[in-house]
Amino acid sequence: MPKKTPPVIVLTELKKRFGLGDAEHYAIDGINLTIKKGEFIAIMGPSGCGKTTLLNILGLLDSDIEGDYELDGTRVSTLSSRRQARIRSKQIGFIFQSFNLVSRLSVIENVALPLTYKGVPRLARIKQASKMLHNFHLGEREYYMPQQLSGGQTQRVAIARALVNDPSIILADEPTGNLDSVASHIIMEELSDLHKRGNTIIMVTHNPHLTTYASRVITMMDGRIDTDTQKVAGAKVKKTKRKA
Amino acid sequence: MRFLIINHIENAQQSLKSNRLRSVLTMFGVTIGVASITTILALSGGASKIVSDQVDALGGNIAVIRPGIPTDKTLNELAELPGRQNFAASTLTEADLAYIKQVEHIEAAAPLMILTGGVHANSPAPNNTTIVATTPELETINNLELTQGQFLDPQLNPNTAVIGPQLSINIFGTEDSIGKTVTVRGQPFTVIGILKRTNDPINYNGVDFDNSVLINQNSGRILNQGVLQIQQINIKSESIASLGQVIIDTNKILLKTHLNEADFSILSGEQISRPTNQLFYAIAGATTAIAAISLLVGGIGIMNIMLVSVAERTREIGIRKALGASNGDIVVQFLIESLALSIGGGIAGYVLGYALAFGISSFLTFDPIFSWPIAGFAFGVSFIVGTLFGLYPAIRAAKKDPISALRQYD
Repeated sequence: MPKKTPPVIVLTELKKRFGLGDAEHYAIDGINLTIKKGEFIAIMGPSGCGKTTLLNILGLLDSDIEGDYELDGTRVSTLSSRRQARIRSKQIGFIFQSFNLVSRLSVIENVALPLTYKGVPRLARIKQASKMLHNFHLGEREYYMPQQLSGGQTQRVAIARALVNDPSIILADEPTGNLDSVASHIIMEELSDLHKRGNTIIMVTHNPHLTTYASRVITMMDGRIDTDTQKVAGAKVKKTKRKA
Repeated sequence: MRFLIINHIENAQQSLKSNRLRSVLTMFGVTIGVASITTILALSGGASKIVSDQVDALGGNIAVIRPGIPTDKTLNELAELPGRQNFAASTLTEADLAYIKQVEHIEAAAPLMILTGGVHANSPAPNNTTIVATTPELETINNLELTQGQFLDPQLNPNTAVIGPQLSINIFGTEDSIGKTVTVRGQPFTVIGILKRTNDPINYNGVDFDNSVLINQNSGRILNQGVLQIQQINIKSESIASLGQVIIDTNKILLKTHLNEADFSILSGEQISRPTNQLFYAIAGATTAIAAISLLVGGIGIMNIMLVSVAERTREIGIRKALGASNGDIVVQFLIESLALSIGGGIAGYVLGYALAFGISSFLTFDPIFSWPIAGFAFGVSFIVGTLFGLYPAIRAAKKDPISALRQYD
């Protein structure tokens, strides 16, 4: 892993508050984090520790934050919502636990959806989406509806959709949470493959087995970073991870 | 952005298709509204066109003088009891006619005294037969043509009449009735002329010449207890260019003789062709009200269904936002959907409106007109309804928080 790559994401004293008055609490309570290009980060932690909230903030879905979030050197708080939407469209790919395909649209239309907001003409969209689906061995399912696919296939469609814009950052929220172990394995292989091709991947997961695919593991607790393999003094953890 | 619009249209099409019944029912409200508007505009356009065509055909140098203060009849007036004016004698007199004839550049002026009463010969005439007492000038002003005989002439025996072809058939059983005697209000008149069929029951004289009997002004006076009642004076200027001056001069003279009381109105061109039938106004008013209410209800229906649609598709909105849709994209997406509903309804309404107009016109003597303003108005109304009632749901959709939207049904 080259160490001189510029950071893609820099978080400084990031806080996210929910509720008001007595009910007020910080879902994220002062996170400092630097993520470099090409890292595969697994974020672990118990339910309610703020993993998903962090991912939503990183994906610009939630901009009501305290502290600083710099994406590619730009402070996110200075961006208009329109500009943020453009960044989501061009730089960020989302993969969700519950797949989140639009059920009215066919598989290929779902994959082509992000291209629409980039202003790609229809034919080019369909071609690009078709190519992407072929890469994921779903070429024969292009005109299926999402509900006609298995869980593993659906998640592969969702990954194809996340990648169709060629984003630099992929955010995955428990991508294998709804899948059996075989399908999980296939999905993780796909993600690992993407990582090898140079994409930055940030994945939230509950499953400790999946961390073996990651280059860096962060555990969270009560809205803070508990452990970060990059910062662990002893190189033990790092080494074992690398070998894995 | 260009591609996005096309995409939004495809998207709207797809979403409306997937809820076909719901979409059609929603469109129906707008359809009824636009159909009523189209029908009334097409028919009233047809009615006024018929009159304006007549005015044009007469060469554009005709003006009419009517008694009474020039007012536009409103719906309010219809609901009131008949005003005093309705019972009062006409404010136009024989003296006025004489003054008008002295105005420079006037080629001809003819009074119309419209009487009602029994007309019969071999068989009685229908009730709607009008008796018109006038002067020979009417022939030149109105381009009245005769199939047989001659027009009125005061030099002849005063008890002579010219009758319309339909009336001739009704009372004599033939169009060939020269020399026969027709009884008008008990007085015998000899038929000296038969008018050519005009097929213009609606015209600026308010007289269906096919179905009327024309008599001399003096005979009219005698039939009306010696009083001349002039309902209208038609004037014709020497040329189109001089009509304006003629109207001004006539106005001056009449004002002077009427002691500066403007109790008359001089109408020309478009003013004459404005439909004078009050019932027509009432029907038009009522239909417009129905159209407005139905458009309002249709619009509320669209808003309602769009709100349902937004609620149903909250998750989709979340997904789209996560994939890069801006708030503006979401607004446009839902706005186009509501516009598709309203404009679809509008097009159906336009077609239905003309179907209705042609259906109704088979009972009337004029045809509905096709014109761009009507099409434009129908489209404009649908567009406004779609935008007005689609904007709130669309903004609501765009304001959804993507995170909670994505969590829907989780």
